[in-house]
Amino acid sequence: MKIKERTVPQGTILDVEGDLTYANQAVFKAAVEKAKQAGCRHLIVNMEQVRFVDSAGLGLLVLASQSFKLRQAQVSMLKPQSYVREIMSLANIPQLIPIYESEEDALIARAA
Amino acid sequence: MNSNAMQPIGQAIDSSAQPEAPAATILLVEDEPVTRASMAARLMRVGYRVLEAENGRVGLDVARRERPDLLIVDWMMPEMDGPTFCEAVRRDPLLKSSQLLLMTAHDQPAQIAEGLVRGADDFLSKSASKQEITARVLAGLRTSRLVRELETTGDKLKSSMLLLQKKQAETEADLQTAATFVQSLLPPQGSPVHGIALAWEYQPSLTLGGDLFGVMAIDADHLGLYILDASGHGVAAALRSASLMTFLRVENILQLLGSYDPEKVLFEANRLFPLSADGEYFTLWVGQFDLPTHSLSYASAGHPGALLSSAQSPSRWLTRSSFPLGFDPSAQFASDHVSLKPADRLFLLSDGIYEVPSPSGELWGRERFQEVIDAGKQTSLSATIASSFSAARGWQQAQQFPDDAAVVGLELIGGPEGTFNG
Repeated sequence: MKIKERTVPQGTILDVEGDLTYANQAVFKAAVEKAKQAGCRHLIVNMEQVRFVDSAGLGLLVLASQSFKLRQAQVSMLKPQSYVREIMSLANIPQLIPIYESEEDALIARAA
Repeated sequence: MNSNAMQPIGQAIDSSAQPEAPAATILLVEDEPVTRASMAARLMRVGYRVLEAENGRVGLDVARRERPDLLIVDWMMPEMDGPTFCEAVRRDPLLKSSQLLLMTAHDQPAQIAEGLVRGADDFLSKSASKQEITARVLAGLRTSRLVRELETTGDKLKSSMLLLQKKQAETEADLQTAATFVQSLLPPQGSPVHGIALAWEYQPSLTLGGDLFGVMAIDADHLGLYILDASGHGVAAALRSASLMTFLRVENILQLLGSYDPEKVLFEANRLFPLSADGEYFTLWVGQFDLPTHSLSYASAGHPGALLSSAQSPSRWLTRSSFPLGFDPSAQFASDHVSLKPADRLFLLSDGIYEVPSPSGELWGRERFQEVIDAGKQTSLSATIASSFSAARGWQQAQQFPDDAAVVGLELIGGPEGTFNG
């Protein structure tokens, strides 16, 4: 799994590529922690290039969302693939972490 | 010949050349006493400890006893010549890595080639200058030191490996004991209460599994059911599962909540088992079966759920979209109800049974699992469960499952034929 981060005026976008799984948890945790330390108010996880999310990956997303919420900050998700979207909806994730279809939508929604 | 040749007749004198390291030991094998004495004197002056032998046979004995750092051997000797000595050293398990310097009077290319082929590492001309002798001896000792370091490292590696294997075996044995204990907490196969048959198969991906389940009588009229799945793998996940299993014990739940109402159980579990610092959590399905009315109430916390297989109609999933435990501290988990008929089967399963990839990466999936269950209506409960395991194994073309795989089957005894074939 590879994560590239981009800073946009209203937040940070993590472009994740590969599988978000137990084996890759350290990389993801480090990227989230870095954004948190930088005082990021809106973390957008771009899931477009993520093929698979296992239970550990799901936990990491929710953990990130919970810790951002404690600081009145937000985690959003961008364009998950259909299989990943299915896993997310089975666990009700969209109720905790909103899913957006474009960066613009995500940024506008947060700003609004 | 020198009769005391078997004893070291020259001891190294402390020299300023090598003040810290102990002096290297050199064995000199040479039949000609004057040459031997002169060479030994030269080496001792530089600070080496020198052992002397008058022929090859004696030389081998001294070498085995003293393990010198370098062997300097004359080519021309009676009984055993230099090249034959080299061959003998290379054949000897104790000596084969020794550094050998072959001394010759005439260093012809053909002779040098023969000496190298027969086991020598380098040559020393009898007419060599003091500087050349010193340089070749130093080079030989350098190689010798490297070879010895390599041998020592190899030995250390071997003993570390053995230690590691022993520790590994101890850990495996510990895990096996823990696994046996956890297995002993699982419900016995057969009939948990009158009118219900129970069969299950469980294949942890590691020795100690994190998927656990329970089927237990709550009182004369109620049967409690659950299946839980811990995220993550390994011992930590298994320990967390065992603690949730303890929480789910009938006595504990009745004392805490007064009943085994699935939505109350999930609400309490959600409160008591938050997301861990590493983002680990459980999914949990809980059911309560009313024996007199055959009514099942159930609720799920993010668990893929249970499958109800009716004798007359296609099977259907008993689950709804919901948060796993710990995702939302204020989450509510609504119960659903379904009525079972005689001969109906209820399967509780972990996603590990159907989330198995084929060699090309395609998942077996829920639908294929469901097809196996539907196809097994006429076979016994345990045979149907067994065939789901063998179909999953066939799909992934491997015996071992990537995640814990569990299928628990319950059958309401009293089919249309009035028989039970569990």
